[in-house]
Order: sequence, then structure tokens, then C-alpha cells
Amino acid sequence: MHLDGILLLQQLINGISKGSLYALIALGYTMVYGIIELINFAHGDVFMLGSFTAVTLVGLFGITNSPLTDPLAIIGVLTATFLITMTATGLLGVVIERVAYRPLRNAPKLAPLISAIGVSYILQNVGSAWKGPATINFPKIFPDTQYILFSNGSSDVRVRTTTLLVLASSLILMVALTLFVQRTKLGKAMRATAMDRETAQLMGIGVNFTIGLTFFIGAALAGGGGLLYGLLIGGVQFQIGFQAGLRAFTAAVLGGIGNIPGAMLGGFLIGMVEAMSDNFLDARWTQAVVFGVLILILVFRPSGLLGQRVAEKV
Amino acid sequence: MNKSRTSGLLVSLGVTTSMLLSACDSGSAAVNTAIPAAATEVATAVMGGAMTPTTGAGAGGSGGTVKIAVDLPVGGAEGANGIPTRQGIQLAIDQANAAGGVTLDGKSYQIQMYYLDDVPPGEQAHNPAQGSKNADSFIADPDVMAMVGPFNSNVARSMMAKLNTAGLASISPSNTAIDLTNPADPKIKDLRPTDKITYFRVCTTDAIQGPVAADYAYDKLGKKAVYILDDTEVYGKGIADQFEKEFTAKGGTKLGRDGVPKGTTDFSSIMSKVAATKPDVLFYGGTQSNGIPLARKAMASAGMKIPLVGGDGIVESGYTKAAGADAEGDYGTVAAVNANLLTEAKSFIDAYTAKNKSDQWQGVPQAYSANGYEAANIIIAAMKAAGKKDREAVRAAIAATKDFKGVLGTSSFDAQGDTTNRWISIYQVKGGAWTYIDQQKFEK
Repeated sequence: MHLDGILLLQQLINGISKGSLYALIALGYTMVYGIIELINFAHGDVFMLGSFTAVTLVGLFGITNSPLTDPLAIIGVLTATFLITMTATGLLGVVIERVAYRPLRNAPKLAPLISAIGVSYILQNVGSAWKGPATINFPKIFPDTQYILFSNGSSDVRVRTTTLLVLASSLILMVALTLFVQRTKLGKAMRATAMDRETAQLMGIGVNFTIGLTFFIGAALAGGGGLLYGLLIGGVQFQIGFQAGLRAFTAAVLGGIGNIPGAMLGGFLIGMVEAMSDNFLDARWTQAVVFGVLILILVFRPSGLLGQRVAEKV
Repeated sequence: MNKSRTSGLLVSLGVTTSMLLSACDSGSAAVNTAIPAAATEVATAVMGGAMTPTTGAGAGGSGGTVKIAVDLPVGGAEGANGIPTRQGIQLAIDQANAAGGVTLDGKSYQIQMYYLDDVPPGEQAHNPAQGSKNADSFIADPDVMAMVGPFNSNVARSMMAKLNTAGLASISPSNTAIDLTNPADPKIKDLRPTDKITYFRVCTTDAIQGPVAADYAYDKLGKKAVYILDDTEVYGKGIADQFEKEFTAKGGTKLGRDGVPKGTTDFSSIMSKVAATKPDVLFYGGTQSNGIPLARKAMASAGMKIPLVGGDGIVESGYTKAAGADAEGDYGTVAAVNANLLTEAKSFIDAYTAKNKSDQWQGVPQAYSANGYEAANIIIAAMKAAGKKDREAVRAAIAATKDFKGVLGTSSFDAQGDTTNRWISIYQVKGGAWTYIDQQKFEK
């Protein structure tokens, strides 16, 4: 296959936009792992329920086929959908932790893992019962203008308003999270709990509250990711959490699980690997390529790309 | 600390992989729950009982009842497939009973439907293992003379060998997979161990659907350069192979071909690649539930203003609903004549509508209602011709069906059990719904 610069640039944009979603979801995996060393398999399904909440809200705002045109209305609807979706999934995360993981906190490691798989199936069935098994249309909230960045006459590089929104929102969320973890008292409590739960408790940190908060933030980010996914892809279905969750999990491991910057880096890298694999190989190999990358990392660098900075894990 | 972390991770990965594997081999793995075999059988038996229509008590001095077995998917998300087809079959049986039933061995019999669902209880979709269990139940009932069904090709594959060994004939209203009847296929012996033909179908196969779609795109739509996608499953890959063969044989150009497995949702990078090859049509082999509506949206986002052409797997309202306005103008083929257009079918449609007015389609026959009606009528005619309450006699009479004039036109079965009445209907998305536009007969 000949190298086509325009196409490569386009794939770079596609990869970044895929990657920013994986990064948002990967953060939830990595934060939870950082603080209680649990792979929260239900996380992808929280993301799915976030996309369902968002599509329901958009319907309640009366948007069906024609997007809004008034900029104020667009900002209002987007902000309200973001806030309600993130709060709803955040609370769901807290409930899941309280019901399915906290009673097992001192049990052998496998017990909460199995519990997480159970929660994952329950959430999928809730999704299936809520919206049915078919893919449902996610209406456009705003006109999805396409901007041509470059053109050589026959081919062009284009970017959609939605892609820009996805990039901007996920970057804002990631920066906000980093500031929260590094600069606030609650963030410090999270880092302390991650480092040593017992000692943190002795120092007067409310460990249960801090772990609940971590679940809230991780699940809220997944909910935001669900809304962005719906806008970007244009349709949602009750099984999307499985695939997206697996890839985000791969991203978290790639970056070094437990490490927040690592999850972001991993997300973008996985997005890029996917885009390039789709571009240069038959797309039927993409899944194999993505999980091949995961295996290679586990073999050669089990702690992930940024995994050495364990002291800063959350 | 580090060590325990790594081992914990490996355990988690093992679990991930097994989840992935289980997701690959069953359609809707995520909601599948293992149900003990015994429980399933009890449940389906109860369901079958509940579904069984009025038991013909039989006229005085008569032989009682004979049964036509019916295997269709109705539970879960499959109602739109199974129910309209079953209603077609029920109509044929009711009409035959009203006309006096059938006379076998000199005694008069009423016909009864013995229906079993191939969606296991609590699941969403048809399941070959359930079909196989249903086959056992049908074979065990000596009153069953023949079967209508199944709806899906992969279910047929799990039932065929059992039915063939038992000598029980079946007529499918809708299976289109080529290898079910292909004598050149090395695995055909597994499907018909006795070499006798027990499997028949009243619809055509993907061997015809794919080429007709290619002819239509090349000749009628004037498309010369195609990019092909398939969902990597038996049906999708098969129909895409057949399309590709015919399209390139006609002189069309294949710009590329990709597999997009179930579970793919972000098609942006695939569609950027496709757009760069400048196709004038895109062919998709697969079912709409495997993500094609999302691919259709990504096509539009990548700037492609070309139609998508697919097989009967996308001619469903799920496609137009999920793909929205982007699907407008797309084409799909269905391996059946459009019964609503045939004059022979007028009385069928009137009777069907009168009987099923209160169903969710207001009594309008759906894609395979007429096929179900036709299959049941061929069996009833064969029972009359056989004149004996004997599976082999009925089977032989079905195989000998010649120029049967029914609601699908004039049909015979060839030596492999396929219909010789090979019409393909072409549909297009207009105003957000699949609309019949044309039909083509396959003559080769």
C-alpha cells in the first residue's frame, strides 16, 4: 500500500478521537485499581448506562431528528446532559462499590473480581431491558459541520464539530481530574489511601468515603464518555460497554495500571493503534492487533509504559 | 507489592479472555445465561402446548390428527421474524382443516401445528442448540409428518442431520445459506448422512442473492467501482463472496475488502480508508444487528455520498431506525418474490389480513409470511398426494413437487431440495423505510 499523507493525517485525527474516549474510560479502571487493586469489570457497562442516560435525556429535551441551531440552547442542553449523566453514573458507581465490593474488601482477590463480572452482567441486562437489544439512534444535538483542514483536490482531511467537542471535553475532564488529585485535600486523601489504606485510616482519613469518592469520579468520567461516544458514533446499544471497556482496560494496562497519566497515554496509543491497523490491514485484524499489543506489553513490561511511578499512583 | 499486583493482573486477564471467547461463540453472549437442559425442555414443551391451536377432535370415525411441526424464533427480540411467518403457516393449516383436512390410509385427519421456539427461554436470539433439541421432540412424536422451518441458516445446520437420519422432511421459509444444499460442499455429508433429500426450502440462496445484487448495482445503477465489507459471519461473508465474484466478472472493479466483526462500533478509520479509494458504491454482507447502521453513519461523516447495497440481512426496520437519515437511498435484496404484488397472492393476503388484523403489523403480511404459507401448503399437498400416514411417503411426495402453483408463483424443487422459483426483490430506503422497487429473476 502506498503512503498517502492526507489519509495518514486523517487517520491520526480518527485515532486521537477514538483514543480520547478510551482514555476517559481507562481513567476509571486505573483509579479503582490504584486504590483497591480491583479490576472493575463493571466499568464498561457503567459507560454503556451513561450513554443510555444521555440518549434518554436528549429525547426528554425534545431533540429527535433535527439538531438545535440556537447556540445558547445547544450549550444549555449539552451542559445539562453532561451534568445529569455524570452525576447519575457517578452515583451508580458509588452504589456498586457499596453493594458489591465493600463487603468483599478483605476477602481474597478473586472474590471481588467475580463480583465485578456479576455486576457487569447485571448492568448489561438492565440496559437490554431498558432500551431493548437493537442499536438505537443517538440524535445530533448540534449541526455536525465538517471542516476541511487540507485538500489536494481529490482527497481532503476533515474534522467534525463533534470530534472537536469530544477532544475538548475529554481534555478538560482529564486536566480537571489531574488537578483534583494533585492539588486538593481530597485528592491527597485518595493518594494516601492508595499508598497504604491502614496508615491512611490511622491518620484520620475516611477510607470508606475516599474509596466511594474514587468510584464516583471514575464512574462519572465513564458517564461523560458515554455521552461523547453517543455524539461521536451516532448510536448506542447495550453491549457497547463490553468492547469499549476491554479496550480501555488494555489502555490502562498499557499505560501502567494505577497510573493516571499512564491511562491517558494508553488510551491515545490504543486509539492510534486501532486507526493505523484499520488503515494498513484488513479491519478484521484490528481486534487481534489491539490485544496482541496488550500481550506484548505484559510480556516485556508488565508494569506498563509509565508503571514505574507507583508512588504517585491513584 | 509489585509482585502481587502483577499476578492479580494476570488472573484478571485470564477472566477477560474467557469473557471475550464466550462473547465470540454466541450471538448475544452478554445476556446468555446457562439454563439447565431439563428446565429448557419443560419450558419449551409448555410453550409449545400453549401455542398449539385448537386440537382438531376429528370427524366421527376419523383417524384423529396429524401434525406439521414448526420451528421458528419468536421469543426475545425475534418476534418480528417468527410471528408473521407462523401466522402464514397457521392460515394454511386452518384453510386445509376447514376444507375437510387430509385423507390418509382411508381415514380423515385434521392437521395440527406442533410449534416450538428456537429462542431458549430468557434469551434474546435464535440458538442452534435449541433448534437441535426441538428436532428431537419433533422426531419423537409419531404424528409429525413434516416440518416447516427453521428461520435461520445456522439453526438449520444443527437440525438437518437429525431430521435427515429420522427421515423427517422439512421446508424452510427463509434459509439462504448456500452450503445447506450444495452437493459440491465437502461437509454436505454431515448435513444429510443418508443421501436422501429431506431438507427443502421455498426461498432462494445467497448464491443468487449476491449475484443479483451485483447485476443490479452494475447494470441498473451503473456502479463500476465497489468497496466490500462483511461482518465475518457465515451469512455475511458468503453473500459478499458471491457479490464480489459476479461484480468483478461483469467488469466492475473491487477497490478493497474488509471484515468488520460484530462489536465494531467506531468505523471512522475504516471509512476514511474506504473514502480514499473513491468507490461509487459500497456493498455490505451481513446482518444489520452487527453494527452496519453505525458504519453507515461513519460513511456519511467520512464524506461519502454513495449508496450502500446489502442483502436481506439489512432489509429490516432496525437498519433504517438506527442509521437514520444517512440510510436514505440505500438498496437491499430479499430472496423472495414480493407476494403483495402477485395476483395469485391476493386471496392469501385478504385472508391473512382478516385473520391477523389485531397483530402489531395490523395484519399486513411480513417478508416471510407468504413463504410460511407456501411451505405449509406444499406439505399439505404432499400429504394428500402420499395418501398414507407415513413420513417417507410424505417426504417423497414433497421431493416430487412439480409446478406447484401458490402464492409465490410456480415452484418445483430441484434434486438438491432448492426451489426453482428464483426471484429476488429489490428494496430501497425511501422516506426512512424500506420500500419495494423492483424484482429480478435469476436465470443462470
